Amino acid sequence: MAKSEAPLQEIGARPSETWQLSTSPGSSLHWLVGHFRKEWQIYVLLAPMIIWFLVFLYKPMYGLQIAFKDFSIFRGVAESPWVGFEHFETLFANSQFIRAIKNTVIISAYTLVFGFPVPIILALMFNEVLNATFKRTAQTIVYLPHFISTVIIAGIVITAFSPSAGIVNTMLGWLGIDSIYFLTKPEWFRPIFVGSGIWQEAGFTSIIFLAAIAGVNPSLYESAVVDGASRWQMMWKITIPSIMPTILIMLIIRIGNIMEVGFELIILLYQPATYQTADVINTFIFRQGLESGQYDLAAAAGLFNAVVAFVLVMIANTISKRVSRTSLW
Amino acid sequence: MASVTLDNVVKRYGAVQVVHGVDLEIGSKEFVVLVGPSGCGKSTTLRMIAGLEEITEGRISIGDKVVNEVAPKDRDVAMVFQNYALYPHLNVAENIAFGLRIRRVKKQQIAESVTEVAKILGLTDYLDRRPSDLSGGQRQRVAMGRAIVRHPEVFLFDEPLSNLDAKLRTQMRAEIRRLHNRLGVTSVYVTHDQVEAMTLADRIVIMNEGRIEQIGTPMDLFMNPANVFVAGFIGSPPMNLIDAEVVSENGVLKARVDDEASFPLPPATGLTKVTGRSITVGIRPEDVEIKQRNGSEGTPCVLDLVEPLGSEALVHTSVAGRPFIVKAETRGGVSHLSAIDRLFVDPAHMHVFDQETGNALGPRSMGHGG
Repeated sequence: MAKSEAPLQEIGARPSETWQLSTSPGSSLHWLVGHFRKEWQIYVLLAPMIIWFLVFLYKPMYGLQIAFKDFSIFRGVAESPWVGFEHFETLFANSQFIRAIKNTVIISAYTLVFGFPVPIILALMFNEVLNATFKRTAQTIVYLPHFISTVIIAGIVITAFSPSAGIVNTMLGWLGIDSIYFLTKPEWFRPIFVGSGIWQEAGFTSIIFLAAIAGVNPSLYESAVVDGASRWQMMWKITIPSIMPTILIMLIIRIGNIMEVGFELIILLYQPATYQTADVINTFIFRQGLESGQYDLAAAAGLFNAVVAFVLVMIANTISKRVSRTSLW
Repeated sequence: MASVTLDNVVKRYGAVQVVHGVDLEIGSKEFVVLVGPSGCGKSTTLRMIAGLEEITEGRISIGDKVVNEVAPKDRDVAMVFQNYALYPHLNVAENIAFGLRIRRVKKQQIAESVTEVAKILGLTDYLDRRPSDLSGGQRQRVAMGRAIVRHPEVFLFDEPLSNLDAKLRTQMRAEIRRLHNRLGVTSVYVTHDQVEAMTLADRIVIMNEGRIEQIGTPMDLFMNPANVFVAGFIGSPPMNLIDAEVVSENGVLKARVDDEASFPLPPATGLTKVTGRSITVGIRPEDVEIKQRNGSEGTPCVLDLVEPLGSEALVHTSVAGRPFIVKAETRGGVSHLSAIDRLFVDPAHMHVFDQETGNALGPRSMGHGG
């Protein structure tokens, strides 16, 4: 297309103004400068977020290349020699890494299956509570664990499951069951980890669903009441379908984070005896990168993790878009 | 179809009373419109009939049954909401069928009912679409379809057309009236739009500050407003209302606005002994004649603005410093309107109200009132 025939396009323009954008970089820059001069206050407001993204998310991407290099901290990123996919081959030949992938997927699946519905159920239950005082008290109680530091949470879990004085073993004792060394037994690690995660975050996450419920048009309920719907029917036929877009968005985000198990709590709770079920990709990266100094291998594992997460988000978003018309983008 | 009776119905929210003892009888198959400004209690009254608001005092009956304690679903009413209240996740057919499915009606019967209603409302081609894929008018029709499909005893409409543009509103207004003529279901319709009220209603109930100001047929309210509020509310543009004093000049009663401006009063017997009384005269813009300059009779006025509307124009003037609107024919142009300096009003078209109570005086007020 000849330059003179280039279409006019409005970009973020107010009704009274039209900004011309052509395909040439020069005029794009010209447009940006003009827009910046006119709307500089908006760019100032945007600056902290842009800087945060650049410093903490984009600048580190430069370092990703060490996943393909024989990195040495003395030679630096640029001077270290390229080694291609050698680190990835090493990783996939390492049974510990394969075990970490398996554990990550299993723990995430448990969290998704058992943890994802809990905040939704909590929000639906809070929505049905009519006594305001009881509702506020119950909400405060379930929100509180979110504000406790992970270290304290780990301390509470370790104490609660202690074989000598832990409340769980004490209660088992009342039932005549011998003490169990929960945190040293691989088969108990996943339930304890997933359960404590639900206990800590379900209440706070329910706020998102409560907000979605608050946004449902009250006329829908009134119309249903006149039509003869019970509270149970209204919950199933109005509330849940109405908050389904929020549920799907949260699910997509959750699937995107499926490879990101909260590894701080794992590091605080696991021990070599439970590595078999507890060691996940992030703890593997932590041990390889920081404890063993194999930064290039850890970077390769991290890159693999990120690529899988990206693919999962893309798939979940596409499916959601096709099935329910709801998507992140 | 059932009648609806409101007997001294009161609604309070804490210490605030929003409906003050409303008495109203709506006959079977009647189309009654509750109209009034925002906050006058019309929607609250409708919601009390629906059972969505509890009644603080009084009694509401549908047919012979007192429904004060009856759940909305058991009142056999259907309601159409201002924002349509369509379920966004259901398609048109499912939306229309919702009430029947809740009541566990057989699938075959639901399908037949939905098909019939869709045919009546011209929605047959849209049954698979979701509300987000429909225009405002189509959504409104779906909302009405949901009400119709249950064959209720009473339809309740809560400002159902206020979200539509002017053209669509006019179309839908006619459709609602046709539908009422066809189905003959008792209908209570709430609106703040007096044109909607005038065109739809068998009877209009004008409400203000939680009270009924007047009940009557549209023309009755237009011709014989019971008080200043009704006079100012019904009619577009509204009636000109000017405070004046009753004087007698050569045996002829006049409403004196100031030293120069006065209007002749109707020869109503009720006013013969009230010289000196403070009144409000009401003159509809269409009841005023205009004269060219050099006239010596009539009421002097000062021209402010002419708004041409096509076949007619709104002439904004002031009489004794008070705004006064005249509706005049344009006769193909508006230039002749720019020379207005006197107004003529036939006393027979004059409305007179007591300035203190606001109630109509004279024979016009007889036999009417809330």
